[in-house]
Amino acid sequence: MTNEILLTRRALFGQSARGIGAIALASLMQPESVRAAALRSGKGGALGGPHFAPRAKRVIYLFQSGGPSQMELFDYKPSLEKVHGSELPDSIRQGQRVTAMTAEQSSFPCVSSIFRFAQHGACGRWISELLPHTAGIVDKICVIKTVNTEAINHDPAITYINTGSQQPGKASLGSWLSYGIGSESQNLPAYVVLISQGTGRPGGQPLFSRLWSNGFLPSRHQGVKFRSSSDPVLYLSNPPGLDGATRRATLDALSELNQLKAQTFADPEIETRIAQYEMAYRMQTSVPQLMDLRDEPEYIFDRYGPNSRQPGTYAANCLLARRLAESGVRFIQLFHRGWDQHGDLPKALSGQCSDVDQPSAALVRDLEERGMLDDTLIVWGGEFGRTVYCQGELTADNYGRDHHGRCFSIWLAGGGIRGGIDYGQTDDYCYNIVENPVHIHDLNATILHCLGIDHRRLTYRFQGLDERLTGVEEARVIERLVN
Amino acid sequence: MIRDSALAVSGLLTERLGGPSVKPYQPAGLWKEMRNDAYEQDQGADLYRRSLYVYRKRSVPPPGLNAFDAPDRETSCVRRQRTNTPLKALVTLNDPTYVEAARALAQRLLTESVSAAASSKVRIARAFRLTLARDPKPPEIDALLRLLHRQQALYAQNNDAAVKLLSIGESPRNERLDIAEHAAWTVVANVLLNMDEFLSKE
Repeated sequence: MTNEILLTRRALFGQSARGIGAIALASLMQPESVRAAALRSGKGGALGGPHFAPRAKRVIYLFQSGGPSQMELFDYKPSLEKVHGSELPDSIRQGQRVTAMTAEQSSFPCVSSIFRFAQHGACGRWISELLPHTAGIVDKICVIKTVNTEAINHDPAITYINTGSQQPGKASLGSWLSYGIGSESQNLPAYVVLISQGTGRPGGQPLFSRLWSNGFLPSRHQGVKFRSSSDPVLYLSNPPGLDGATRRATLDALSELNQLKAQTFADPEIETRIAQYEMAYRMQTSVPQLMDLRDEPEYIFDRYGPNSRQPGTYAANCLLARRLAESGVRFIQLFHRGWDQHGDLPKALSGQCSDVDQPSAALVRDLEERGMLDDTLIVWGGEFGRTVYCQGELTADNYGRDHHGRCFSIWLAGGGIRGGIDYGQTDDYCYNIVENPVHIHDLNATILHCLGIDHRRLTYRFQGLDERLTGVEEARVIERLVN
Repeated sequence: MIRDSALAVSGLLTERLGGPSVKPYQPAGLWKEMRNDAYEQDQGADLYRRSLYVYRKRSVPPPGLNAFDAPDRETSCVRRQRTNTPLKALVTLNDPTYVEAARALAQRLLTESVSAAASSKVRIARAFRLTLARDPKPPEIDALLRLLHRQQALYAQNNDAAVKLLSIGESPRNERLDIAEHAAWTVVANVLLNMDEFLSKE
């Protein structure tokens, strides 16, 4: 009986679609039809183009998940040698809230880094011995030592820096870009995510799909995770027993059926559906081609390091990031897990650094050689830094560090960023900022600026508010970083 | 809704009410790469329960439902999204859930309430009734018949491929059915389950 009712309703619709209904329906659907056209052309950001001339066309965000220690990597503090083992003064801590993991500690002894630093490049920047390859590109990168966040635990902190809010539900940076300035590829999504596991702390902090979520934005802007398994995109492969030619035949039949419907109902959303099935079909070819590294020459693997031959590693993902950039993907985000050195820091951090040092530097050089560094912005950093005081027992050759949001270091390269400069100063304890703070909203505003976007004018009306990535409080673009 | 509809028209749906959450098919390793714990898929009737009962891990939502904008359970959802992406197409074309549903639907068309000798046209009409609640139009029948004949010829030549296609999903297949015939109809059913009219609520 239900079927009878449905049939009647559909028949009614079918008839009226030929008359006045068709006109009403077509005008109702107008925005969707514009969208369908935009999808076919592969462009179509909501802004209709950048606000001003962009320096970068795309971003590769090398996200170091867990909180890399700034004192061991970029923020050289010889001053700590003198206070090594002594209590962190109250004048420095200033009542700072610490995590539940160290709140019960009776003592907060300062720890000077066990690793040596040396000056590198024409700029003479101090870089840790843990990052020998990064040391080779110091003149191309800009290190910000004063990035800061209010969050002190992973989940809120990583959500904050990726979506502009500690509360879940907002749109991620990559989704904002996809929404604002659209895609440059007809065969690939605008926002691609690649995940790798750190050797420094296997089983470290989890990741969440909300980090690349579209939030309140339309879901076609969400990050698409490319995986290292046989199906790089979920459900990309045809089922066993159904070959490529058969898939083509099924899509032809499907398209014919959908076209018949579209002609009757004049519903542009059906056109969109047909276009999306064709995009899915193209992805079945383009994605495996892109993920297949066999066409890369030997010297490229040598440059990215031995791990680059092993799918799913950070090194392989860096190489993939370059290929995605070449294919016109707008925002490529790597997540490397394992930067959470609460204990066994010297050993674990060495592992993390050997995972990422060579491939990160190789990516910068590789893009430069291809003439792509000028319009590709690279961001390297995590959700917060680490404390100067020791977590757990401090011994001659071992220590740990807790989370620290008041200051941490990240680096930027390419895409209009001035190389060879430092920005911001921290105090002798690497605990507080002395000069030029860069809140994570400021960082995100600056990233958008490099892409030609005024962060105040990239908004989306949701539940009565004009939402934006940089939130309500005033965020600043750090002009000095940009050429 | 789409998964539930596919399960319902294929006859696979488990109609039991209530009880603990279930874990249907999911690509291997999805939980592992994000947070180191293993997904243990259910077996039997629990694979075919309504999506309402599907286990939700908020940090790694069920991929098939996630592709179709299922609310993420992180924040309250005041308005459902209406989107259309290639990732959705990949799910309903290739996810074992839908391929198995197509196989079960094909089996239904070949065995249920139509005589064994019924013509392909009659079966297509029955398929339209089941999936779209209407009769097919002549050009629709033509399009599907062309596909059917192509696949019948193909699978008659290549029984291995047919067996592979029919082996997807854990529900047993009716072994009395001709393999090539069943596989060819599975491909036709795969198309029907991907028609805009089947996927959209109008």
